[in-house]
Amino acid sequence: MNFELSEEQKMIQQSVERFVQENYDLTNRIKISSEDPGYSKDYWSSMAELGWLGLAFEEEDGGFGGNQIDTLVLMEQFGKGLVLEPFLANVVLGGGAIKRGASQTIKDSIIPGIMDGSMHVTLAYAEEQSRFDIEDVATSAREEDGNFIINGKKSMVLNAESADKIVIVARTSGSQVDENGISLFIVDATSEGIERENFPTVDGLRASEVIFENVKVPSENLIGEKDKGFEILQAVVNDAILALAAEAVGAMEVLYKDTVEYTQQREQFDHALSDFQVLQHRMVDMFMEYEQCKSLLFRATMETVQDPKLSQRTVHALKHLIGKSGIFVGESAVQLHGGMGVTEELRIGHFFKRLLVIDSQFGNADFHLNKFTNF
Amino acid sequence: MDIKLSSDDLAFRDEVRAFFDDNKMKAGEDYFSWRLNWFKKAREKGGWDVPKWPEKFGGPGWTPTQHYIWEQETAQANIPFDLPFGLGMLAPILMNYGNEEQQERFMPDIRDRKVNWCQGYSEPGAGSDLANLKTKAVLSDDGTYYTVNGSKMWTTLAHVADWIFCLTRTDDSGIKQQGITFLLFPMKQEGIEIKPIITLGGSHTVNTVHFTDVKVPVENMIGEEGKGWTYAKGLLEHERTGLAGLSKSLVELEQLKDNARSIQRGNGNLMDDSSYKSKIGELEIDLLATEFTELRSLASAAAGGEPGPESSILKLKGTEIKQRIQKLTVEASGIYSSAWGDKGVGPAFAKGGTAGYLNSRYFTIYGGASEVQKDIVAKKVLGLTKGSSK
Repeated sequence: MNFELSEEQKMIQQSVERFVQENYDLTNRIKISSEDPGYSKDYWSSMAELGWLGLAFEEEDGGFGGNQIDTLVLMEQFGKGLVLEPFLANVVLGGGAIKRGASQTIKDSIIPGIMDGSMHVTLAYAEEQSRFDIEDVATSAREEDGNFIINGKKSMVLNAESADKIVIVARTSGSQVDENGISLFIVDATSEGIERENFPTVDGLRASEVIFENVKVPSENLIGEKDKGFEILQAVVNDAILALAAEAVGAMEVLYKDTVEYTQQREQFDHALSDFQVLQHRMVDMFMEYEQCKSLLFRATMETVQDPKLSQRTVHALKHLIGKSGIFVGESAVQLHGGMGVTEELRIGHFFKRLLVIDSQFGNADFHLNKFTNF
Repeated sequence: MDIKLSSDDLAFRDEVRAFFDDNKMKAGEDYFSWRLNWFKKAREKGGWDVPKWPEKFGGPGWTPTQHYIWEQETAQANIPFDLPFGLGMLAPILMNYGNEEQQERFMPDIRDRKVNWCQGYSEPGAGSDLANLKTKAVLSDDGTYYTVNGSKMWTTLAHVADWIFCLTRTDDSGIKQQGITFLLFPMKQEGIEIKPIITLGGSHTVNTVHFTDVKVPVENMIGEEGKGWTYAKGLLEHERTGLAGLSKSLVELEQLKDNARSIQRGNGNLMDDSSYKSKIGELEIDLLATEFTELRSLASAAAGGEPGPESSILKLKGTEIKQRIQKLTVEASGIYSSAWGDKGVGPAFAKGGTAGYLNSRYFTIYGGASEVQKDIVAKKVLGLTKGSSK
């Protein structure tokens, strides 16, 4: 048992930290976020060149054979700058499904493109009625002459606007909420019958509602076995939870440290705010929640690397704590910054918004507490 | 990063389990002779009777992972009780600040569990603000002994203690942290009066202790006169970074869940009650996180000698978790939670549950109240010193 990063991981950590420091001041982030496609293509190319996009792919697919700990290292640093580039959509979600279940032909045609930044992929899983239940899939895929015909609407699809390919979760059999009968397909985002309604999210990222109307997909595009897609989806969602939790931990670190610094500078009632014990204790609580989230992040990630089958319960625990503590730290940071905390001028509010969004993705704190207690 | 136990660690765990198994108390065996024999056997294993002592003083010299394994296994096994005062509190001070003669005089009896110690720190006017102590020690004209007068309060198990390690004031001319002297003396002597304090749970664990002209030879002073605060503070730090009893809490939590499942509600049981279940869930999640905070703290201590910032939150979180377990036990007892005494009505676990909960309130008070712990984290970890901006 050890908690040390490898020398290689430490180097990557330093290089991402530097990248974020040099490129992600608030003004620049706001500018990038407000222009299409909602991230910087130059930064995306740099990330590809630095090898970050290939870290989590298998060596036989041309990747570096890394695991969830490597992703943790990247995401924690991304969280410190609220990085906008679609790493989650491409590498963890779309790429995660493909590396787990796609045929070699599909892997060969897509993974190199993800790694060099030339091909964008995302995952369409949620639906209007499904809320956080990933097994609740109404979108149908009907088999017809060696093709599948997909009909339905997918919601909150991350970075669909810039995606070349979409991995879609559809139902091939069973009732609407059966785990069995779910299948994954990869489709061209520009296929006939696909319509995307794009919009910004609260945190300045991009998502879309995607409508599929009689979209024809050849059966070779099936990812994994027909009807057996749930297991892949669950594994991808768990990876996404780990990645988002790492990002949240990075964001919480910025929030508590910024708050400590601000309260030392700001004077009211002839004292630095940091002199007031009631504020000190609130900051200690923020610090403690951050450390506890970090601990549980390490635990869930290390358990997943060791055996994903045994880590499910801890992943639920993690997403609960991240949601609850993330919002506590965010709200506290805003509160202790006073009026300035509720303006767009300070980065505090932007980090808070990101933590709010993270709680709403892949199941919020209550959802995962319920999963945890019923496990 | 890797969560797997190495083959050496797994072998160690098996060895620990085998040891506990081989040395279980046999039917009809006398508890106290079993206890002493158990520690003798543990000593033969190479310092297992004093796991936390450094190798130099006969400890086993375990890695952080081995300490963690030991704590997990001891939480589940039936091993003899131990008190922290001599072994965990005084011994480290003797090791760091005592002279060789004192080490040789006191440590063997501590190790053999022959002498019971109590801690004379808090006073009527010195609780979390410990340095405010008034108990006076005056050096005799010939410089051979101190005369101690004053009172200590909240002295745990003073009524069964053979000796006390005691903070006394030898000088009040400077700031209150100066002029404190660390003395050791026997409890069973003239001039010492012990009065019980009954706590909310109805039990007698803590006491008030009065000293009237108690004579203490200068050989019984640790380190230098007036420097006692430094020694005591070192101990408090040690106390804070020690294991937070989390493995024990995990075992107790599982027991609590079993208890809750034994309470029928409709066609199910109390664990089907969504609000009760949520409280259990949140508690367990905090425990899972805190357990890893402890592991991180052990690992950083092993790597750099100094425990990292995360260690500062262990006492805060660990004590709060223990209290929540007690509270949920009371809740599970329902109407029977109001029954007092040894009668035992309702489910077996309900007996003494409320008394246990009431006594558990001191977890966040002793050893520096939680609010004082937060002051320390604010200052030491976050750098929020008063007037830091000026």
